Amino acid sequence: MIYLDSAATSFQKPPSVAAAMQDALRQLSSPGRGGYPAANRAAETSYLCRTELAELFHVPMPEQVVFTFNATHGLNIAIKTLVRPGSHVVISGYEHNAVTRPLAAIPNVRVTVASAPLFRPDEVLEAFSRAIGPDTDAVICNHVSNVFGFVQPVEALAKLCSARKIPLLIDASQSAGVLPLDFEALGAAFVAMPGHKGLYGPQGTGVLLCNPNFLPKTLMEGGTGSVSMEQDMPEFLPDRLEAGTHNMPGIAGLLEGVRFVRQTGLEQICAHERNLTLTAAEELKKIPGTEVFSRPDLAAQTGVVSFRCNQMDVEELGDRLAQRDIAVRCGLHCAPEAHQTAGTEQSGTVRVSLSTFNKIPEIAAFLTAVREELQ
Amino acid sequence: MEHYVMIARSVTYAQQMQSVLSTNGVRSQFFRAPRELSDRGCAYAVRVPENQIAAALAAIRNARLAPLKIYVTQNNKYREAAL
Repeated sequence: MIYLDSAATSFQKPPSVAAAMQDALRQLSSPGRGGYPAANRAAETSYLCRTELAELFHVPMPEQVVFTFNATHGLNIAIKTLVRPGSHVVISGYEHNAVTRPLAAIPNVRVTVASAPLFRPDEVLEAFSRAIGPDTDAVICNHVSNVFGFVQPVEALAKLCSARKIPLLIDASQSAGVLPLDFEALGAAFVAMPGHKGLYGPQGTGVLLCNPNFLPKTLMEGGTGSVSMEQDMPEFLPDRLEAGTHNMPGIAGLLEGVRFVRQTGLEQICAHERNLTLTAAEELKKIPGTEVFSRPDLAAQTGVVSFRCNQMDVEELGDRLAQRDIAVRCGLHCAPEAHQTAGTEQSGTVRVSLSTFNKIPEIAAFLTAVREELQ
Repeated sequence: MEHYVMIARSVTYAQQMQSVLSTNGVRSQFFRAPRELSDRGCAYAVRVPENQIAAALAAIRNARLAPLKIYVTQNNKYREAAL
């Protein structure tokens, strides 16, 4: 299979990830639940994973690194902490349903979309500046659009939010493990990310980076292995947000994924993915009838390219590619907001998304298949 | 030899204290706090030899960490330390 759907989940993982998960099943019980060797090994593994993540994202204390089930889980915690009924929230025009649906579930939330054209970070910033008002309770922005690979100006946005004293939530679902992100320098309230995409951990893992100035709202209550006499959830992290038994095979796998990312280096991973994306984008543009969403120099874009074609519905093209054992994602990508902003909500797009394990011959084979199908 | 026991609010916090101590050359042991020392129920602790308690406290404070309480062991009994 040629796997080009890493924006959904990275499929090829470093071999150490599966090995660590198998070892975890044999050797790790539950962290914070005992003083015997299997519990201590689990505690050690989870602490090492928090520490690796804290170093990768410049988080001052490992306690601020909370394990979640996925990015959506972390986004829900953050949104339900920052947003109350009647709040005003400003979001980018490229947000995923993982952001817009939790907002829609809170009564009477007023959402302003800071809409700006694709690959124009300056205009994104201007749109946010216009949309943020004195009554704004939170700003939410993804680092990279899951549909278009558009790299949004989160560093400049963080400065804007800091100056206006508005909490910022960053969805790093597509950037974690690819682009640098300095949590302490950003001063964001929360950063949510999956463990199973660019961090190369298994499905069922996610991470929420928490600013200690915000007491997060709990989505679940239960045992934490701490302050057990009290019926309120602990106020300290990570326990406050980690009720119940941890996904230790997942955390052990995530630890190895993060180690792989740090050993490989973000710069190398990003350069490789950009090179593949640029090749795919430029060659797709040569196919008659295709509309490819990228700038010639791949400015403000990384790892993901979307396209559509006059000749064929995007889902049909996806099916035909699947029959050739080529995996791409078609349709609206759970991000109707992004498609509305880009004007592709009627057609959807075919999305090609890369990982560090993809190779140029795979891109060449994909391009050959698209050419043949569209002839 | 007497030991000092620093009570942490969570397993992660105890690990963080142990990591800081290790970085600063202080030997310590991480363990589950005795029930009599965890009045809010379930805690972890870090044990430090008496001759390293001063270095341990300096390291912990420099790292802006704060044990919930510190006890000293005496004849196999715990007494809260006034430090």
